[in-house]
Amino acid sequence: MKVKLWGTRGSVPAPGPETLRYGGNTSCVQVTLSDGTILSLDAGTGIRSMGLALAAEGTRINILLTHLHMDHIQGLVFFAPAFRPTSEIVVWGPAASDASLEDRIARYISAPLSAVEVRELPCDVKFRDTPETEWEIGSARIRAASVNHRGPTLGYRISEGDTSLCYIPDHEPALGTDLAEMTPDWISGFELARGADLLIHDCQYTDDEYPDHLGWGHSRLTDTLAFARRVEAKRTVLFHHDPMHSDDFLDAHFGLALERWAELSGDPTAIEMATERRELELGEVTGPLAQQTAAG
Amino acid sequence: MEGTQKPIELILARNLMSGLSTPAFLVDAGGVIVFYNEAAGKLLGVRFEEFGRAGPEQWGPAFGPFDQDGKTIPYDRLPITLALREGRPVHDTFRIRAADGAEHEIEVSAMPIQTTGGRQGAMAVFWEADG
Repeated sequence: MKVKLWGTRGSVPAPGPETLRYGGNTSCVQVTLSDGTILSLDAGTGIRSMGLALAAEGTRINILLTHLHMDHIQGLVFFAPAFRPTSEIVVWGPAASDASLEDRIARYISAPLSAVEVRELPCDVKFRDTPETEWEIGSARIRAASVNHRGPTLGYRISEGDTSLCYIPDHEPALGTDLAEMTPDWISGFELARGADLLIHDCQYTDDEYPDHLGWGHSRLTDTLAFARRVEAKRTVLFHHDPMHSDDFLDAHFGLALERWAELSGDPTAIEMATERRELELGEVTGPLAQQTAAG
Repeated sequence: MEGTQKPIELILARNLMSGLSTPAFLVDAGGVIVFYNEAAGKLLGVRFEEFGRAGPEQWGPAFGPFDQDGKTIPYDRLPITLALREGRPVHDTFRIRAADGAEHEIEVSAMPIQTTGGRQGAMAVFWEADG
């Protein structure tokens, strides 16, 4: 399984010279399975660059949306494969009682917010409610679970063989509770993230900023690290950077993270800040993906 | 006590209740009490941490909900049970016996926790009728 971060920012794109290193695009993570299947976790503005990097013909892709906030869907109408008739795209997202996933996304991909309508997309696109039970896409098993954020929001676990990735970009598991005291069954997202080889998790706020954003659905540094320790993730990527945080600010933020992580007896190589275009490999790379990797 | 991962709606309800000074309790889809808050513990005379998870066959007799004539109210007529089974809010007044033997007349308002994934449980707030 290969993972590439195309968008690491939360809330709103933050382009500019002060965010060049960590990136200004909003949430999007490409996962390439060993059989070559491509998943996109969320469709923030990072998906635009991802689309440009994919092969021009015959793109088949599953887009797994955690929720429908703008920073997670804004790139959909700028995703090049969506404008090719040869592309097959399946968009998965949280169910809601008031409208279908397609109708809810169409509120964005329609006038006056968009120049194109969903029905005008030339690709073969399907919208599906994320099932409550585990299902398969390509060579992976996918599991989703509701997590604590504002509005219906999912986290995903993607497992291939013994390798697992957990993606919870928008998450406030410590809202109204103390993560250190709760038993695992009462911690939002715990089962999803338990023992994951890689956890990509919300870390939008510093501890000082958090009191002014309590209940907004995002984590402060201390809670992200506490969650990572409780679930015993093998590696954790601190994700969904606040748009106000410059590269220099995030450098300092990570320095603090390392200090806190050491206090929790964490391995300093097991955490890192999400950086746009960063690529990670999980488990043994086999099958068509290995051939692609060998071919460069 | 540990168990399977709780639905997010129950986690959120518990977190809310934890911050309330109004007595409140939470049951899962099977009618098992999975949490009640500190204010409820004061009225019931026993903290949740001491009482623990309890199925209807345990928590009913423990607090003996009974009517004005002293007759025990069957579990399937209690507001929380009706809310859970019928998916509607229910309000009622009856008496309970706290762990210290003191009796209280309480009013209870129960509501189901309904989600797109089905009914995940029910929650209730209660207070002393003469309080």
